[in-house]
Amino acid sequence: MQLGLQILYRSIGLFILVLVAIRILGKINIARVPSYKLVSYYAIATIAVLISVNIIKDVALGLIALGVWVLFPVLLDYLSLRSKLLHDLINGKETVLIKHGKIMEENLKQIRLTGEELLSELRSKNAFNLMDVEFAVMETTGEINVYLKSDKEPVSGHDLGIMTAPQTEPQTVILDGNALNESMASLGLNKEWLHIQLENMGVSLDNVFLGQVDSSGDLYIDLFDDAIELPQAKVKEMIYANMEKAEASLTTFALETEDDSAKAMYEKNAKKLKHLMAKLYPCLLR
Amino acid sequence: MTVASQVRQTLASLKGVQGNLRIYSTQTQDDETVSIYKEALETTEAVINDLEKRVQVLEFQEPQYEGN
Repeated sequence: MQLGLQILYRSIGLFILVLVAIRILGKINIARVPSYKLVSYYAIATIAVLISVNIIKDVALGLIALGVWVLFPVLLDYLSLRSKLLHDLINGKETVLIKHGKIMEENLKQIRLTGEELLSELRSKNAFNLMDVEFAVMETTGEINVYLKSDKEPVSGHDLGIMTAPQTEPQTVILDGNALNESMASLGLNKEWLHIQLENMGVSLDNVFLGQVDSSGDLYIDLFDDAIELPQAKVKEMIYANMEKAEASLTTFALETEDDSAKAMYEKNAKKLKHLMAKLYPCLLR
Repeated sequence: MTVASQVRQTLASLKGVQGNLRIYSTQTQDDETVSIYKEALETTEAVINDLEKRVQVLEFQEPQYEGN
C-alpha cells in the first residue's frame, strides 16, 4: 500500500513536471522535430517513467538526469540562434536533390535516398512528372520541398495582370450560437450590430452555428438548420450593376439632349463613372 | 416618362450606390480598399451634384410635369 501511494504521488508529480518540461522545449510540429530534440523527448519520457514506477529509487538523481535532457536542447537552441556555424553543426544542412531539373545522384547517395523514395516524395508534393521539377531540396528535418518550373506553377492574379483587392483575415464572431465579443470588438463591432444583421437575415442567434465577418465587413453565417435557405447578400454586385446602369443612362442622355453644355456634362460624368467602375471592380466583384 | 423624371431616376439610383459605398467605406478593414471607397464617394458626389443642377434646369423647362 505504501509503495502504491508512493508510485501514485510520483506519477502525478512527474506528469505535471513533464508537461512543464515539454512547454519549455518549445512549440514544435512533432513531424518536423530536429533529430536531437526527438532524442530528448524520448529520453525525458523514459526517465520520467522510470522514476514514476520506482525503478530509479532516488527521485533527486532522476530529476538531475531529467533536468539535463530538458535544458540541453534549450541551450542548443540558444547557441544555434547565436551562431550560424553552430546551427549547421547541430541541425545539419539541407541537401539539394534536384537542381535545374537534374537529379543530383551524389547527394541522393549521401543521404541514402533511393530513386523510388525520391519519386514518391515528389508525388506527395503533387509533382508527378519529373520534367516539371526545377529544384527540390531535403530540409534538415527530412522533409522534401519542391519548386516547380515556372510554367508549371499555379497561376496567380499577378501572372494574369489582374488587380485584386487586398484582404485581411476574416474574424469569427459567432460560434455554436454564442456571440464572441472579443473578436467583434477587434473589428469595432458590437452586439447591437450583430442583432441588426441577424434580424435583416431573419434568423436568431441560437440557430447560428458559425458566423464570420470578412475584411469588407460582410457577415456570412452557417445555420444549424440546413433546410433554411438564406438570402445571399449581393450588395457589392448590386452597387456595381447600378453604377453600370447609371453610366449607360448618362450616355443615353448625352445622345438625346440638344443642349451642348448639358451634353458635355453628361459625357464628362459618364466618363467619370466608367473610370470609377474600373477602379472598384477588384473590390466589388472579386 | 419625361426626360426630367428619367434623370431623376438615375439620380436616385446613384444616391443608392453612394449610400452603399459609404457603408462599405466604414466597415471595410483594409486601409487601401477604404481609400478607394472614399475616392468613389467623392466622384459619385460630384456626379450627383451635376445631375441635381441638371434636374432643376429640366424642371424649369417643363414645369407642367414638375414632381413626376
